[in-house]
Amino acid sequence: MDTAVHPESEASLIEELKRGDSTAYQKAVREYSPGMLAVARFYLDHSSAEEIVQDCWVTVIDAVQKFEGRSGLKTWLHRIVANRCKNRLRTANREVATDFSETLEPELANRFNSTGRWDLPPKLQFHESADTLMENGELSDCLDKHLSALPETQRSALMLYEAHQHKSDDVCNILDVSASNLRVLLHRARQKIFLMVETFQETGEC
Amino acid sequence: MLMCRDLAEIASDYIDGELNGRQNLSVKMHLMMCKDCRTFIGNLRASSNLLSAHSSGKADEEFLRRIDERVAEALNARKIRGSDSE
Repeated sequence: MDTAVHPESEASLIEELKRGDSTAYQKAVREYSPGMLAVARFYLDHSSAEEIVQDCWVTVIDAVQKFEGRSGLKTWLHRIVANRCKNRLRTANREVATDFSETLEPELANRFNSTGRWDLPPKLQFHESADTLMENGELSDCLDKHLSALPETQRSALMLYEAHQHKSDDVCNILDVSASNLRVLLHRARQKIFLMVETFQETGEC
Repeated sequence: MLMCRDLAEIASDYIDGELNGRQNLSVKMHLMMCKDCRTFIGNLRASSNLLSAHSSGKADEEFLRRIDERVAEALNARKIRGSDSE
């Protein structure tokens, strides 16, 4: 089922949600929940994150009546989730622990010599386009595996920025991180994916 | 002078167009001279595109059905509240 929501159909989806159309809710739940879960996972463990996303959808039924479309629907939903998570953390008196001190992955940092030149440069060029690469089911599975092994903070930043195509400002706002810390999260996560694809191309193994 | 390691540290900023003019220029100069870094930047960019192309829409179907149920209950409750107030 194609659930992609294009900008022109977003307005009509919002109208249907305001009317309380259950089919529209099912469509919206499938379209937006993965991103909402990515936001929640930045802050909370898996089961608390799922709980928050469920609660948010129930809130949306009333809240959408006042939605004026100043931001897109996706950004609005992600902010609702982020605020709920922040409240939950505040109540529990917890903060998200993150390490922003190193910009290079140790595995990559070790590939340079003491003068800062490559000791072990990248051997292969990733020739194929992303779409062609993704047709390789094994690579796609491998990517899933590595994504799930990323620290939550890196994965959430990466998914919101790359897969859900949020702008940097929005990601900073939703995840409550500074612009420079977001850059570190994104760069660390991309390096891990780069190392994964490199190993996969060289050895065929994940 | 910008070394390969320095470039690797700011490679994502370069790809996303987040560097200032001077930094951007020094990366471009380095890339003209260094094949290894050209390969690295190309591969890092490909990794980033790969993530954009990778389906982000994966959520456990069981989890989605639980949301459907909660939404359906809340919609019904809303309808009942609505008809009571008429």
